[in-house]
Amino acid sequence: MSDLRPILTTEKLVMQFGGVTAVDNVDFSLREGELRCLLGPNGAGKSTFFKCLTGQLTPTSGRVRFDGQDITGWETHAIVGMGVGIKTQVPNLFDGLSAYENVRMSARRKHLRPMAKEKAEEMLEKCGIAHLARREVGLLAHGQRQLVELATVLAGEPRLVLLDEPAAGMAGDERDRLADLVLETSRRAAVVVVEHDMAFIRRIAKFTTVFNRGAIFREAMIDEIMSDRAVQEIYLGKQADVAA
Amino acid sequence: METSLRTDPGFWFMTALGLVLLFLGPLFWDLFQIMQITQYVVLSVYVLSLAYIWGFGGILSFGQAAFFGLGAYTFSVAAINMGETTFPFVLAFAIPAIFGAALGYFMFYGKLSDVYMGVVTMVVTLIFWKLINHTAGPEYAIGDARLGGFNGIPSVPVLNVPGDAQAWLDPGQMFQVFMAILTLLYVLLRILIASDFGRISMGIRENETRAALLGYDVRRHKVIMFALGAGIAGMAGGMWATYQTFIDPNVFSLEMSAKALIWTMAGGVGTLAGPIVAVVLLQYLSLKLGEMHILNNNFILGGIMMVLVLLVPKGGLPTLRDGIAALRVRGSVRRSGTPGKVAPDV
Repeated sequence: MSDLRPILTTEKLVMQFGGVTAVDNVDFSLREGELRCLLGPNGAGKSTFFKCLTGQLTPTSGRVRFDGQDITGWETHAIVGMGVGIKTQVPNLFDGLSAYENVRMSARRKHLRPMAKEKAEEMLEKCGIAHLARREVGLLAHGQRQLVELATVLAGEPRLVLLDEPAAGMAGDERDRLADLVLETSRRAAVVVVEHDMAFIRRIAKFTTVFNRGAIFREAMIDEIMSDRAVQEIYLGKQADVAA
Repeated sequence: METSLRTDPGFWFMTALGLVLLFLGPLFWDLFQIMQITQYVVLSVYVLSLAYIWGFGGILSFGQAAFFGLGAYTFSVAAINMGETTFPFVLAFAIPAIFGAALGYFMFYGKLSDVYMGVVTMVVTLIFWKLINHTAGPEYAIGDARLGGFNGIPSVPVLNVPGDAQAWLDPGQMFQVFMAILTLLYVLLRILIASDFGRISMGIRENETRAALLGYDVRRHKVIMFALGAGIAGMAGGMWATYQTFIDPNVFSLEMSAKALIWTMAGGVGTLAGPIVAVVLLQYLSLKLGEMHILNNNFILGGIMMVLVLLVPKGGLPTLRDGIAALRVRGSVRRSGTPGKVAPDV
């Protein structure tokens, strides 16, 4: 499945806010069709890194390349137009509209009306939220909102999917379904997942990148990462002992 | 799943009401009433310019009067120079729309936040007002039209039949033309709002970040909407000028901008019919209060506004709609299970 061509690379990516360096010289590379987990304590710069990739922030220096094209400094909608989809940490949804309308709006960008309708319904079904289609998303529970946003992102049929804490606010069943969904998605697109939920990570993770203080701290297979003393210290701390 | 205009009773009711008034109104009203109602119609077109961009695109403009005034002056100057009114009427839409596109370009591509956008639109209105007030001297003329400063432009031509500059419309006919414009505008805006463009607008209103993250160019979209709103306000200005056959710099006043906001808020942001009803009710009330000479007119209107904001913050029509929906839900709960709030598939 995964050929060697990178779909996404960053070179010496830096994002500074005043004196704070949120992303520090990050060289990141993701192969086409790869599923990558991104770990790191709060404030490690994961979400900022995502924002640099999607043009929500313009990096202070460094380059971002998507599919061979230098997209550094591009407008968000243009980057998304290339085939990038992102589920943000705090769900960004059209709160006053129905779940169906949210998903449809995403599908509509690539498809004509009848097809967009079909795609939207299919995606709601796939994410297990077809029963919420007509509900106003502003009134849904956090876990449900997460799923609506996921469906919205996937309906855009992106080639690179960025998921920022998709499992937050989800209960056991929902979380398992989400893991299956992520695995399935990774068969058609490259996926990067930021998560803190270890049970969830264990179900999906293979090659994993650990961020700390804005920089890449380790890159290795998940088992290796989990047993890495230094990683446990910066991130897992006592939690790892409990989990082990 | 998709509710369309076809199944929306409110849409059909408003359209039918517009047509009924258009054809039957002049048969029953005397001249004074026709003149009065024509004023409501013009101001309704004006309020739609804001009701559309604010309610369906989340663009809060404090400067609709800038476009209203620009349209009024454009129409007057062009009509005086050309000796006919059809092309000037088109210009009354086009010039403010172009100006709105330019202003919108700088505001939206410059990524101004809502607060600064409000300030910029308000200041632009003030600049126009100041500027036009200082054009009293004879040197301030465009062709045959003297701008007249604070005295304004007298004897603005009455609308004529397209192609025949001598065939002026009488008040009854002018009412019918304006009512036709209002009805058509309402229908077109509703169609636009129901279109994909309109859905994206509403997406932008709800969450700009998400709209961009779905790949929609938020800036371009907002510029288009803003320009369209500017054009509609400008057209209303042109209608105002020919209706009054006179204009002065007050078309650029902050009061004019504020009125659009007040009417839209009172009628309900996110509806078109609500603000129109608000125009009619509040203007009528203002007229009656003016006749009574008991209390200062603006004082009472201000009071009403405060009460509205405090008691019905959503505005008249949405509150009414929610009330009816709540009654229905209460009925259905009695019959079956728990209700879930269902979002309108706008």
